[in-house]
Amino acid sequence: MGAKLTFDNVTIQYPIYNNRTMSLRNHLVRISTGGKIEGETGSIQIVTALRNASFKIDHGDAVALIGHNGAGKSTLLRTMAGVYMPVEGTIQREGRVATVLELGAGMDPELTGYENIIRMSRLMGATPAEIAERTSEIESFTQLGDFLQLPVRTYSSGMATRLMFAVATSTKPDILLVDEIFGTGDAEFQMRAKARMEALIRSVGIFVFASHSNNLVRRYCNRFFFLEHGTIKEIDKSDVPEDN
Amino acid sequence: MKPGTADLFRTLTMMRLVLFMAWSDVRARYKRSVLGPLWITLGTAIGVVGLGFVWSELFHMDRGTFIPLLTLGLILWQYISGSIMESTRVFTLQVSLIRNLDLPISFHPAQLLLRQMINFAHTIPLFIVVFLILGKPFALVNLLAIPAFVLVSLNLFWIILMFGILGARFRDLEYLVNMIMPLLMFLSPVMFRPNALPFSGELLLLNPMTYLIEIVRQPLLGEMPTLSIVTGNLVLLVIGGGLSLALFNKKRDRVALWV
Repeated sequence: MGAKLTFDNVTIQYPIYNNRTMSLRNHLVRISTGGKIEGETGSIQIVTALRNASFKIDHGDAVALIGHNGAGKSTLLRTMAGVYMPVEGTIQREGRVATVLELGAGMDPELTGYENIIRMSRLMGATPAEIAERTSEIESFTQLGDFLQLPVRTYSSGMATRLMFAVATSTKPDILLVDEIFGTGDAEFQMRAKARMEALIRSVGIFVFASHSNNLVRRYCNRFFFLEHGTIKEIDKSDVPEDN
Repeated sequence: MKPGTADLFRTLTMMRLVLFMAWSDVRARYKRSVLGPLWITLGTAIGVVGLGFVWSELFHMDRGTFIPLLTLGLILWQYISGSIMESTRVFTLQVSLIRNLDLPISFHPAQLLLRQMINFAHTIPLFIVVFLILGKPFALVNLLAIPAFVLVSLNLFWIILMFGILGARFRDLEYLVNMIMPLLMFLSPVMFRPNALPFSGELLLLNPMTYLIEIVRQPLLGEMPTLSIVTGNLVLLVIGGGLSLALFNKKRDRVALWV
């Protein structure tokens, strides 16, 4: 089945509460005073992170999200993943989604490497049988050996990253959403991580990649979305300059 | 289907994973202790022995009557207050899961409730031991405690869901609940029966905790649950559950943005 991702006029708005609007006291005061001191209690700021976004991504597309910090790249990825719901517009998603956004969701430092492989994989939707199949491959990629039998809290941060990255990239999704490929670990690990990521990218139907590195997006992507203040503009590859 | 209702159904289809996560949490929590979750059993046992001897004299009650009701009161209170105390942070503590994975939002309240049930299960042996020592005969009415426990758990689920949503939006709720719950223990019939109070027995019926404790304790002490206690639980479930669901339907999509 072909993967598909369609956005029709999607708007995402975030409320930003400062510590005054977060507090119950001010809320009660505001209710009891009929909203008169609205200005004093601090108003809720609404940030429009994505404005009237419409696009269609088909099977075989590799889409780059480029733009400055705060342009809405991560919000768009999370919306694609189904984490954020639009206040307006509709989203159609066909195919199994996997995300490589913040690594290590669901990892518990007290549990061993093996236990965390199971825990994180199950949260990502893998069945116990699928996990059993993948474990040996995760073992060989992470090269953690007997450390996998020890609690993750005993790992160095580089070792923990290896484990998190290996689990996050062990799925076989139809749609892969990736936020900024990281530069952690030693040079040898970075090489192997790159090879693994490339193999994964080749295997998926849709790949969406948010990055500040023009060279990387030029290399992996065939469509380019430029985000600015929450609006999306599709641009041509020739409009994306190479980094020096 | 409304977003909250659809979310709850999605969680229902994932109960195996919820159970796995609850177990995994308990394992992680006690990983480095020798006794592990048996600490819960031991802690409660010491509470029962200690309080049982002193308070039975204070209340001028026969120990054979007092200790079983105290045991039941304490283990039920731990289950109820544990669930409610953690409810306000049920979403804010899971922010990395909520923001990175497409799990149903009600997954987290279900996980918290199951974890509390696992803790509760560790105190069941204690209660069996107490009853064996005192030589209480088993009666069929004891079995009514099982549906009663289910009813209490359903009530706790809507409380966790509602407080979780409100706690994600209003961070003060956490402190408010943490302040009220220990106090509420003394205003609830944990160490006594509602009818033991000479004047304010009726007032206790204004405290929802009274219903949640008594409905399970009555059948275990060999009494038929009274009509008012059963009705109280059902009213809580219908009204509270309805409000909680309405809130969830309205705000389900906002939770990911609030945490």
